[in-house]
Amino acid sequence: MQCSCQKQQSDLSLLAPVLREYAAVPGSLITILQQAQEIYGYLPVDVIYHIAEQTGTTPARVMGVATFYTQFRFQPVGKYLIMLCDGTACHVNGSSRIAAAVQEYLHVENGGTTEDGLFSFSIVACLGCCSLSPVMMINEDTYGSLTPAKVLDILKEIQKKEGAA
Amino acid sequence: MSMRIAVGKGSCGIAAGAQKVYDALAPLLSGTEIALGTVGCIGMCWLEPIVDLYENDTLKARLVQVQPEDAQNIADAAKTGDLSAVRGRIITPEDSEFLTKQTRIALRNCGIIDPDSIESARAAGGYSAITHILKDGVTPEAVIACIKVSGLAGRGGAGFPTWFKWNAARQSQGNEKYLICNADEGDPGAFMDRAVIESDPHTLIEGMLIGAYAIGAREAIVYVRAEYPLAIKRLEHAIAEAKEAGFIGKNIMGTDFSCDFRIKAGAGAFVCGEETALIESLQGQRGMPRLKPPFPAQSGYWYKPSNINNVETYANVAWIINNGGEAFAAMGTEDSKGTKVFALTGKIRRGGLVEIPMGMTLRDVIFDIGGGIRGGREFKAVQMGGPSGGCIPAALLDTVIDYKKLAATGAIMGSGGMVVMDEDTCMVSMAKFFLDFTAKESCGKCVHCRIGTKRLQEILTRIVEGKGKEGDIELLEELCNAVRDGALCGLGQTAPNPVLSTLRYFRSEFEAHISEKRCPAHTCTDLLHYEIQADLCKGCTACARKCPVSAISGSVKQPHVIDPAKCIRCGQCIASCKFGAVTVK
Amino acid sequence: MSQIHFTVNGQPCVCEEGTSILQAAKQNGIEIPNLCNDESVRVYGACGLCAVEVLDDGRGKPVPKLLRACSAKAMEGYVVRFDTARVNQSRKIALELLMSDHTGDCRGPCQLNCPAGTDCQGYVKKIAQGDFRGAVEIIKEKIPLPASIGRVCPHPCEQNCRRGLVEAPLSIAFLKAHAADRDLAGDPYRPVPAPRSGKHAAVVGGGPGGLTAAYYLYLKGHDVTVYDAAAKMGGMLRYGIPAYRLPKALLDREIAEIERLGVTMKNNVKLGKDITLEQLRSTYDAVILATGAWSSMNMRCPGEELAGVTGGIQFLHDISSGEGEISDLRGKRVAVCGGGNTAMDACRTAIRCGADAVYVIYRRTRSEMPAEEIEIEESIEEGVTYKFLTNPAEIIGENGRVKQIKLQVMELGEPDASGRRSPVPVEGKFETLDVDLVIMAIGQRLDPAGLDGVALTKKGTIEADAATYLTNLEHVYAVGDATNRGASIAIEAIGEAGRCAAVVDSALRGEMKPYRAPYYSKKNVTAADLADRGKQPRCQMPTRPAAERAKDFAPVNLGLDDETAVREAQRCLECGCHDYAECRLIRYAQQQEIHPERFAGVMHEAEKERRLVCIERDNGKCILCGLCVRICDEVTGKGILGLIGRGFPTAVKPEFHDPETAAVCAQCGKCAEACPTGALKWLK
Repeated sequence: MQCSCQKQQSDLSLLAPVLREYAAVPGSLITILQQAQEIYGYLPVDVIYHIAEQTGTTPARVMGVATFYTQFRFQPVGKYLIMLCDGTACHVNGSSRIAAAVQEYLHVENGGTTEDGLFSFSIVACLGCCSLSPVMMINEDTYGSLTPAKVLDILKEIQKKEGAA
Repeated sequence: MSMRIAVGKGSCGIAAGAQKVYDALAPLLSGTEIALGTVGCIGMCWLEPIVDLYENDTLKARLVQVQPEDAQNIADAAKTGDLSAVRGRIITPEDSEFLTKQTRIALRNCGIIDPDSIESARAAGGYSAITHILKDGVTPEAVIACIKVSGLAGRGGAGFPTWFKWNAARQSQGNEKYLICNADEGDPGAFMDRAVIESDPHTLIEGMLIGAYAIGAREAIVYVRAEYPLAIKRLEHAIAEAKEAGFIGKNIMGTDFSCDFRIKAGAGAFVCGEETALIESLQGQRGMPRLKPPFPAQSGYWYKPSNINNVETYANVAWIINNGGEAFAAMGTEDSKGTKVFALTGKIRRGGLVEIPMGMTLRDVIFDIGGGIRGGREFKAVQMGGPSGGCIPAALLDTVIDYKKLAATGAIMGSGGMVVMDEDTCMVSMAKFFLDFTAKESCGKCVHCRIGTKRLQEILTRIVEGKGKEGDIELLEELCNAVRDGALCGLGQTAPNPVLSTLRYFRSEFEAHISEKRCPAHTCTDLLHYEIQADLCKGCTACARKCPVSAISGSVKQPHVIDPAKCIRCGQCIASCKFGAVTVK
Repeated sequence: MSQIHFTVNGQPCVCEEGTSILQAAKQNGIEIPNLCNDESVRVYGACGLCAVEVLDDGRGKPVPKLLRACSAKAMEGYVVRFDTARVNQSRKIALELLMSDHTGDCRGPCQLNCPAGTDCQGYVKKIAQGDFRGAVEIIKEKIPLPASIGRVCPHPCEQNCRRGLVEAPLSIAFLKAHAADRDLAGDPYRPVPAPRSGKHAAVVGGGPGGLTAAYYLYLKGHDVTVYDAAAKMGGMLRYGIPAYRLPKALLDREIAEIERLGVTMKNNVKLGKDITLEQLRSTYDAVILATGAWSSMNMRCPGEELAGVTGGIQFLHDISSGEGEISDLRGKRVAVCGGGNTAMDACRTAIRCGADAVYVIYRRTRSEMPAEEIEIEESIEEGVTYKFLTNPAEIIGENGRVKQIKLQVMELGEPDASGRRSPVPVEGKFETLDVDLVIMAIGQRLDPAGLDGVALTKKGTIEADAATYLTNLEHVYAVGDATNRGASIAIEAIGEAGRCAAVVDSALRGEMKPYRAPYYSKKNVTAADLADRGKQPRCQMPTRPAAERAKDFAPVNLGLDDETAVREAQRCLECGCHDYAECRLIRYAQQQEIHPERFAGVMHEAEKERRLVCIERDNGKCILCGLCVRICDEVTGKGILGLIGRGFPTAVKPEFHDPETAAVCAQCGKCAEACPTGALKWLK
C-alpha cells in the first residue's frame, strides 16, 4: 500500500457516471470498484479516496473491501495479463509445471508484472474450462492443453509481435 | 425440409475454437435457406467444438472436434443432405453413449436451445411452470408442498431440503424478502452452474421466479462469479428478454405477484459461496461469514428474510412443477431424490457434464459414462466436493451416489465436481493442493481457519518437499480435527476433509514421503531424481537441447549426464528422449 | 421475557430468554474464556475460545457441535461445560495457533533469565519513577533478601539485558540493592501475611533457599520453623560470601525482617545430631530440606592430605565465622585452585588476611573463567597473581605441611561440549611455586549426614521432583544446592524455594498443584533492531581504592546515590509487554499447557511500533479479533481502522498511515482499551 503523500493524479471525472448511478445505492461498493477498475485498469489510491468520499464512507472501509477480493488490483497490470488456471483438473494435469515455465521464462512472480511492463502473471481459481486443462487465458484468449514448451512458444510469439527480446 | 446448424458456444467450446468455426460457417451460409444458430454447452467437453445439424428440428448429425477448415464441408452437407464429406467428424456411437446414459432435468435444454432467445426457451417449455402457477392460482403453500414431495435438496453441497428453507423464509415476518441465487461456483474443477447459465438462463430465471413467488420475495438477485463473463452476459440478456415478455417486473401476468431481477458480479472470493458471506458481499462488504443462527431465512440480505439456493437447485424447480413432485421423487434413493449434475474432469477419457439419477454408482459414472481412465492408466481415486470434500479410492467405486453414502466415505456429494485421478497422481500433493486453496481463500476471520488452514498447508508443503518430520501425520490429524470442530463457517469446518480422507485411504503415501523421502506417484519434484542411463543413452543431445536450465552436459554420441544441482525436475528430458534413457526415481 | 435455567460447569445459572451463553454465564459470575467479544459491539465469533459443549439440550440429547458461547443462546435445561476434554482441546489448539503467529515479549529477557523470575522491568520502572518502596514491593514478590542478593548475585538478568545490544546492560542488581537499602533505612515494607491456616512447616537450613521458603510459606498462612546448624542464619550468604561483598550487619537486618514477620528461627540445631528427620516429619505438616552443599570437592591430586590444604568453602567459612585456625595470613603464600566465584572470594579474602602472595591456579585462560569479570579485575587490583593454563599436579609437603605446589602447564585444545576449549597438558612442562596454604575452590558437594532415608542422585545430591520438589519421603521437599544438579548461585535456590513454597501451600491446603513453567511469548531482537536507540552509558558503582580495601573486610562498593539509580533505571528499554498484566491472551495461554512451537510457520511481521494519532500499534501482537476495527466503526462511528486483505495475511491498518486520520480520529482511546493483547497502546 502506498502513502497518501504519493497520491496519483487520476482523472476522477471518468468515474462520475458510475458514482452518479451507484453512490447512493446501498451495497454497491463492489460494483463501483469493479467499474473503477474497468476504467483505470486498477484501483489507484486517489480513486479509492474519491470513492470513499463520494459514497460517504472511509478509505479504510473501501480498502478493506477492495483487498478482500482477488479481482482488485492496486498496481497497473502489464499489456498482457496471463491468467493461469489452477483448478483441480488443471492441477492434476500439470498446471504447476506451466507456472514454473512461465515464471522461469519471464522472471515474474505470481501477481507480478515483468520489468518491461509487457506481461502480468497471475495464478487464478478455476476458469471452468476443465476439459482443456491445463488452461490459461491471456487477456481475452484462452489457451488449452498446455505444455511448458507450448507456453513458451505462445509467450515468444507475443514478444516477437511486440518487438521485445 | 429445413436445415439448421447449431454451433455449441459455451466458454469451453469457444476456448476450443467454436467461435472460429462459427465465423467460418457464417459467410458460407449467408443468403442460403440454412439457419446458423448458437446453442450452449451440451456437456461433451472432450469433443469440443461441436456442431449439430438439424433437419426439421431433428438432430441429423452431431459433428465433433470441428475445425474452421471443416466449414465448407459442413455447409455443403447442410445444403445437399449428403453427409459423406463430414463423415469423419460425426460422433461415434460409443461417444454418443455419454449422453444417452444420462437423465437430464437441470440440463434438459443445455446445448439444445439458443440461450440468447427466449422464444427458443419457450419452445422447449420455458416459463410454462410459472405461467401455470400464476394463471391457475396455485398458492405458494402448494408450490412449497410440491417441492416437499419432490424431495429436492440443495445442490450446492450441503443437501438441505429446499422446501424447508423456502417454508422458513415464507413463515418469516415482514414484507421485504429476498430470493438469492448462489452462482458463485468456486469449487475448482466444477462448472455445472456456468454451463446452465450459459446454455439455459431462462430455466434459472423461471426457477427463481417460482421460488420468489413461494417465499413472497419481490426481488431476486443472482450472485455470479466474476470469472464467468459469458454467463453474466447471457443472463443479463435473458433477464432483459424475460422482462420484455412480462415474466419479470410488476404484476407479472396480471397477477399481484411482482418480482425484479438483479445480477451481482462477485469479485473473487471462494468463501462467498457460504451463504452468509455471500450476503455480506451482496451488501458491499468484505465477504466474511456471519454467525448462524440467525439463519438467512430469518435475517439475511439487509437483515431481511432471504432464501438462497444454488443454480442447479433452481434449475430443477420448473421441471418439478410441470411434472409433479412425485415424478422427481421417483428417481434416486431413499435419502436422495432426483438427479445430480457432475462436472467430470481430470484423467478421464470422456470429460464433461453428466446428469444422472441419484443411486447410480461412481463406477457407472466414471467407467460407463466417462469411459474410464485416459491413456490406459489405472484408476486411483476420484475427488468429490472440491476443497470441502474428499478422495474416494478404487475399492469404493461401487459406492452409490447418495448424500449419506458419499458422506460415509469421508467425501461429500458437494456441488458436483468429480475429478478423476490415476496412478500418476500423488495424493499428498492433492491434499496440499486443496489446503493451498482453502488457506488462500480463508476469509481470515476465525482463528481455527485463518491460522489452522495455513499451518495445515505448511505441514503438507514440507511433507511434499521432503522435509516432513516424524509425527507430522499425527499433528495433521490433531489439527484437522480441531479446525473441523472450531472453525466458524462451512469453509473452515470442511477444509480438513481433503486431508483426512487422503490420510484415511492413502496413509502409506504420507508415510513414504515422510520416512523414505519418496513420492510413490513420482510427482513431488523435490523428491525426484533424474538420471540418464549411460548404457541406453545414444548421445543424440536432444535432452540437452530441450533442458531449459542447461543441466545436461555431454558430447555428441557420448552418454549425457544430468547435474542434479541445476536440474529443476521439469521432465522435459524424459519427454525428449527417444531411447528411454532418462529415468526418474 | 421468561427466565431460563441452565448450568455451566455444573453451576446453576439463570438468565433472561435470548441471552447468549457467554453473557448469561457472566451474569452468574462465571467467565468463559473469550478474546473477541465486547458488549459494545455486535457478536463476531472470531476467536473460538468461548467454545462450549452442550451435554444435554434440555431434552436429554447432546448438541453434536461445539457452540460459540458468544452467539449461542442459553436454553432451558442446557447442561453447558467449557471444561470437557473436547473443549479444552479446541481452546488449546486455538491458543497454540494464535501464539504461533504472535511476536512479542510477554516479559523482558531480564525476568525470563532470572532463576527466581523476578519482575526486573517492573521494579526498574518504579525506580525510574523514584518509587523505591514500590520497587521493593515488586522485588519482594520473589526475593525476601534483596539488599543481600543485589550485592552478591551474578545477575543473569544483566547478562541477558537487551540494553547490552545498545551499549551496556542495565545495572539491575545494584538497582535492586539500592532500592532495598533505601527501604531498610526507613520504615521497611512488610507484606501482610494471609490468615493462619493452622498448618506448620519445618525448614532445614537457614540459607537463602531455606529463608525464602520460610518467608513465602509464612506469608501464605502457614507457621514455619527454620532450623540451622550454625550459630546464625544466612547460610552461604553469611559463611560463604566475604563481608567485603556483603556486610553481615545488612544480612542481619534482612533476616530480622523475616523473623519479625513471624517465622520461628532455631540455630545450633544440626540435623541428624540434635534432631532427626523422622522427628521433624512426625512433628510438622511439611518439611523442606534446604541444607546446602558445604563440602569442598577435592582434585584427586597427590598431597591433598597435607596440612595447609583446605577447601574454598571451608576457608571462607572459617574466616567469616572466626572458628578456624587461620585468620592471619601475614607472611604466607597462598594458592587458590579454581576459576569460579568461590575462588575469587577465597583469593580476595586471602589478600585481606594479609597474605604475602596469592596465586590463582586456573587451567584455562582468563576469558574462559566462570567468575565474574569485575571480580577478576578487582582481585588483580588488590594484588592477586593469576597462573593461567596451569593445573595442580602435586602438592609437595615437608613434615606433613604444604611447602610447594607443582603445576602442570596446559594449553587449549579442541572445544568441549560446553563450547569452551578444553585444556590439555603440555608434555613434560611443569612449574613449581612455594606456598604455605592451598585452597581448593573447584566445587562443592553435599554432606549427607542426617538425611536418613532420603534418596540421593548419582551425584550424591538429594533427588527432588522438578515440579513438586518432593523427595522420596512423603511431605518432605528439598530445594537449593543440596538437590539434583548440586550447588549453584543463591538466586537459583531462592527461585526454587519460592516455587516450592507455592507447591507446599497447595499441598497443605489439600490439593497439590505441581509447578508448571508458565508459557511466555518471546521475540528475537538483534542489535540492528535497536540501532535507533541513543547510547547512554551504564552507571559506575563507586568503589574504595584497591590499596585501601585490600586491607580490610569493609565493603568494596560504596553504593549508588538516588539520582544515579533513577538515571540508570531510565535506561531500561522496557522489552516486556506493557499489557502483560491485562493481556487476556497470555492469561488464557498460561491456564493450560500449550506448545505453539508445534505449529511454527510464517508469522505476521512484527512491524516497528509506530504512532498513529495517539496509539502505538504492534502488528506482531495483533490477533485479528477485530475489536478495534469494530469499535471504531460501530461505537465511535469513525471507521478509520480497517481490516486489509484476507486469510492468513489479513492485517489491521489505519487508513494508509494517513495524516488526515489524525483529523478524523475521535481520540477516544476505546480501541486500545478494548484490545485484548498489547497490540495497541494508548499514548495519552
